[in-house]
Order: sequence, then structure tokens, then C-alpha cells
Amino acid sequence: MFSVDWVLAEISTLAKLSSVKMKLLCAQVLKDLLGEGIDYDKVTKLTADAKFESGDIKASVAVLSFILSNAAKHDVDCESLSSELQQLGLPKEHTTGLCKSYEDKHSVLRERLKEMSLRLGRLEGVSWRVDYTLSSSELRNISEPCVQLKLQVQGAESGASETTVVSVSAEKFRVLLCELKQAQNLMNSLQ
Amino acid sequence: MTLGSHDYTHRQPGTVWTVEWTDALCWRRLICAMLLVLSEQHKGHLSFLSSVDPEVVAEFGRIALDFLRRGTSPKIYEAAARKLGASVEQVQRAVEGLMFLVLESCRHTLSETDFLDSILVLGFSQELNNNLLQLYLQQSAQVRPLLAQLTPTLPNYHSLEWRLDVNMSSRTLRQQLCPVMTLCLLLNKGGAGGGAGGSERRLLQARPATLLHLLSALEGALDTLKSSHTRRILRNIK
Repeated sequence: MFSVDWVLAEISTLAKLSSVKMKLLCAQVLKDLLGEGIDYDKVTKLTADAKFESGDIKASVAVLSFILSNAAKHDVDCESLSSELQQLGLPKEHTTGLCKSYEDKHSVLRERLKEMSLRLGRLEGVSWRVDYTLSSSELRNISEPCVQLKLQVQGAESGASETTVVSVSAEKFRVLLCELKQAQNLMNSLQ
Repeated sequence: MTLGSHDYTHRQPGTVWTVEWTDALCWRRLICAMLLVLSEQHKGHLSFLSSVDPEVVAEFGRIALDFLRRGTSPKIYEAAARKLGASVEQVQRAVEGLMFLVLESCRHTLSETDFLDSILVLGFSQELNNNLLQLYLQQSAQVRPLLAQLTPTLPNYHSLEWRLDVNMSSRTLRQQLCPVMTLCLLLNKGGAGGGAGGSERRLLQARPATLLHLLSALEGALDTLKSSHTRRILRNIK
């Protein structure tokens, strides 16, 4: 899985840390991957013993985040991850520490990666209103219900929120509802 | 970038070319020595520099470099003019002229001798010439990256996100099995005046067959880097 040259090079940098410090560094990197932000002061303190320069710190954070995110991406189980890392030259204590952190946060990480996957324009909100039209300038007596639908969508290309308002007559709305119910049945049958 | 009300844009540098023929199939190697041709207006502006101390020239050089980075304010010129007992306009023109001189020299990467030859025509003292040379050498390392940022660029590749879906059924047709790849191309929009431009998202959809064709076309493009024709050109550009 890890056939990238720089990973091999940086694993030797990681090995310079003690295994306890590396487990704590893993925890920080996992927090960053889950979107909680990374505390760089803590990271600097952890790596201060091994006298890491700023380039080494960035490299070790990068390689840990690469390993963990790729392992979650391909849904690698703990034993394979551990054996592969040991083959690449990471010492045994470090590997067990890394795998333990990975296992703890495995499902949470996969959930987060699923959320971050490409989606074309998500639906953010729907609101509706049923009106009853009494009459208009064209026709004196209408007396028909109609539905006003407001759809809030996250634009596919722009990423900003777009609002669409449509008013739907009663027959059209029945057709829409029927089709959507069919689609929902299909989705339920697939799950 | 405008320089006050003076038109520094229309002048041609003089070039002296010597041509060296190597193999008939190889590129000609052109060795050229370039001299800047300074307009009369420019010379007039720079002549103010000969009447001030060398430290002031260095200070002007610093102001000129700041101008490139951040623009300038009239206060700086006023302060300098008061100290030197000259008019604000003279100081401003001298600084702008100095800055243009450094800019043009950096743009053409003049060597030391070429730079000295170009400013010989101004008739400055030897010491002033040396000061200007030192200024140019110090600042050229910083000015060239700044100039590189000012070129207009096309949007360039930042990253690609993708998603593989299977179309199971639609309103018009049930029971289908149609794989579709959705690609989101993230581009960095470069513009004139560089720096971090905005980013742009382009959404594309492709069937697997189209995607395979795209991959083979891109691989073919990368393979042309290894062809002998390209290698010959790259060898000779160096």
C-alpha cells in the first residue's frame, strides 16, 4: 500500500521518537484528521526531546496523517497495517502504539472521510406552505390550492447556499409526490 | 505598475549579439551582452543622485524596494526632501528613476560589467557607480521573484476529487446499471498581480470508457517528455 518514497524516508524520522511520544503524536494527528484542529504547541513539546527541527516536525505529522488516512480509506485491518509498517522499518513498539490509536478511532475516521467525500450540491433545507388561490386578474373565481416550496441547496460548483422557490399546482404536486415515493422505495430496497 | 507621470515604458535596450555555431542539427547558442539605453528624461531624474551623499543613495534604494513591495506614501518623500533641502518632486523622481533602473537591470539580468557600462553614460563619480552596483547586486535577488509574480498565469491544477456512482434507476427507466464517475477539478485561479488567487471548482462527469481514454491520452502526453526530440530541446535550453 505504501509505495511512496518519502514515506519510507520519513519512517526513519518517526523511529527517533520514543513510542509513548509517538502515540501522543498519533492522537494529535487523529484530532486533526477528524477536523478538530491540531495543537502545534503540544506537537512541538512532544518532539522537543528528539530535537526535531521544524522540517522534521512537519514531515512526521505529514507521514502519520498519510498512513492513518490511507489505512482508513482502504479499510485496512490492524494486523495487516502492523505487519506492513514493520516491513517498512518502523520499530515494534511504535507500530503497536499506532495500530492501537488507529483501531480506537477507526470507525469515527471512516465516518468523517465519508462526510468529506465529493457530493454534488447537498440539500440543506426544505420549507413549504399551502396556499388557496381565490381569484386573480385573469379569472374571477379560481378556488384552487397550491404549494410553495422553498429549497435551500448548497451549489455544486460554487459551494455557496442557493435558494430556489417554486410554486406547484395540486396535480403537479401529486405527480411529484408519487415519483418521490417510488424513489424512496427503491432506496429502501437497496439498503 | 505606473511610475508617476513619467513614461518609462517606451525604450528599447540595446543588444550586442555574438553567434556561435555548433553542430548544424543543434540549436545556435546566442551569447548576448545587453546594455540599457536610458532616456534623456531618466538621465535627468537620476542626475539628482550625484548631488547627495552615498548613504542617501542607499536609503533611496531601500525606499525603491519598498515601493515594489508595498507602494509608497508621500510622507516618505516629504521627510527626505526636508532633510536634503530639495523639492519633493525631485526626490520622488530620483527614487522612481533609481527603482526603474534596478527593475530593468533585474529584468534583463545584467551582469556587473553591463550594469556599470549602462550607468557610465550618466557621468557619475566612480564611488557613486560602485554604490549603485552594490545596490543592484543586493536587491536583484529579491526583485526577481517579485517580478515573477507579476506575470499573468492561467488557472492551474490544485487537486482532483472524485466519486464513483452507479445509476440504478431513474424516473424514466428502472432497472439499469450505469457506472458514472463524477470529478471535481479544483483550480488555482492565477491572475496578473499573482499571489494567492481565488480557487475554482469545475464539475465533470464521465463514463468509465471516457475516463480510460482520458488516462491513456494523459499518459501519452507524459511519454512525450521521454522522447528524443524533447530531450534534445531540454539539453539545449540549459
